[in-house]
Amino acid sequence: MKFSFESLLNAGGSRLTYGLLNLRILGWILYGFTRPGILVPSQILSQIIRIGVQAIPMASLVSLSVGFILAMQSSTELGKMGADSFIPDLVSLSLMRELGPLLVAIIVVGRSGSAVAAELGTMKVNEEIEALRVMAIDPIRYLVVPRFIALIIMLPCMTIFGNCVGLVGGWAVCTLEMGMPSSFYIMRAMQRPELWDLFSGLIKTAVFAHIIITIACYQGLNVEGGAEGVGRATTSAVVYSILWIIIADTILTGLFYFVL
Amino acid sequence: MSPTPKKTNPSSDVILEVKDLVQSYNGRAVLNGLNFKVRKGETFVIMGGSGCGKTTLLRILIGAQKPTSGSVHLFGEDITKASSQELDRIRLRFGMNFQFGALFQSMTVGENIALPLQEHSQVDPSLIEMIVKMKLELVGLTGFENFKPSELSGGMRKRVGLARALALDPELLFSDEPTSGLDPVMTAVVDQLTLDSTRKIGVTAVVVSHDMTSCFRIATHMLMLGNGPRQGEIIAEGTPDEIRANPDPFLQQFVRGEADGPIAFRLSQDDYLKHLLQEG
Repeated sequence: MKFSFESLLNAGGSRLTYGLLNLRILGWILYGFTRPGILVPSQILSQIIRIGVQAIPMASLVSLSVGFILAMQSSTELGKMGADSFIPDLVSLSLMRELGPLLVAIIVVGRSGSAVAAELGTMKVNEEIEALRVMAIDPIRYLVVPRFIALIIMLPCMTIFGNCVGLVGGWAVCTLEMGMPSSFYIMRAMQRPELWDLFSGLIKTAVFAHIIITIACYQGLNVEGGAEGVGRATTSAVVYSILWIIIADTILTGLFYFVL
Repeated sequence: MSPTPKKTNPSSDVILEVKDLVQSYNGRAVLNGLNFKVRKGETFVIMGGSGCGKTTLLRILIGAQKPTSGSVHLFGEDITKASSQELDRIRLRFGMNFQFGALFQSMTVGENIALPLQEHSQVDPSLIEMIVKMKLELVGLTGFENFKPSELSGGMRKRVGLARALALDPELLFSDEPTSGLDPVMTAVVDQLTLDSTRKIGVTAVVVSHDMTSCFRIATHMLMLGNGPRQGEIIAEGTPDEIRANPDPFLQQFVRGEADGPIAFRLSQDDYLKHLLQEG
């Protein structure tokens, strides 16, 4: 058992492909559960604050705006058919299943994914990554794993929070603009979605978190060529993350609503 | 002329042995069949001009890069064939002082020095704090624990890098251009710190440098790498006195810092014309 962990930790030797990075992260997390001191809670907490908590205001603003937009757009069309009462259903379902996870993930890519890629890239250029290796400290364990765990924890939390803020946006439009009673909005918005709608959204966020942090760390750790390389890595981290998030979202949506 | 360092009396224990080391890039040999030994207690200075492969050699010696062929025996173990775990075990026995410090910018000076202790020792945090203060005192930076690297001068950063490299009390210290970019006074300070590390603490030092004053000040043994037509070869090796007395024109031009000599600054007239016409 121990042997397999250690072979995972050093998979590929000095090479670092995207697949090897994932293997080593998995290895360190499994190893961390068996050996105290491998995963340092204070480092994970610090990353939770930097990557997650500090991104909440921006994610909330976007979610609130999306709640406004969904309610305003649907009120025009549904109103024509006399189906105003379905607006809370539409807002809550859209947020939970699709827009909440997707938009919060995209905000986190732009804010935290790019920051991680730039930070690790700058550390590589400044020989800090090499210094870690020479001190017999694995950069994957010390730099990548805390960020990985932090985002896997924080993205679902941020999405739930974002969904709630988005629902508030929808509520504001429905009650203040359309005169819908608050109790009616809350009842419809809470009753219509099933538990699976929330879970399917949260499964998506976990996949998105994995995509964001592994791509950002991979790009950062593979920077070559100074400041220009850092810029390229940051751009690549954002572009590839958004691309793969949308591809993963398409596949997961297909799986959740047509296969499972 | 700087005073010749007091000679240590190195025992015959070989701490580092390089055998037939070759490093090539795209078929061009940067290091060409190097053989040398570093003995316990020595301050072994590797010198050479820009592009002669000093940094490449240092990267191979610390296990950051695999050579094309040859072997590097560190503490009796061949690091070119060592697994990552074995290499990490060996790395705990040496420290590395990077050219620009390679300090973690997000950490304070104290946290930088404490990091290897936190990672590799079971020492109590209060004791780590004390060790950090001792290391800072060693490099003359008492009271700078809470400064960020960005708040320090280049010389101070190099000294913090040295303190961090010595944090785990290594048997061997590698130093990459420890005095480059420093004023003469700070150069002398950093040299004195290297001497203190070897004489007072008993650390063996391998220093890569092209600062001749500094090299002769600290070295007990020197090695000169060639470049140009003698790229990647050992031009000369010996004590500082032997190096000074060596008549090799390549070595003497480098030691004296002369513009004219076998180390060509420009192509010869014939080569230049040929090059110019080809390019045209």
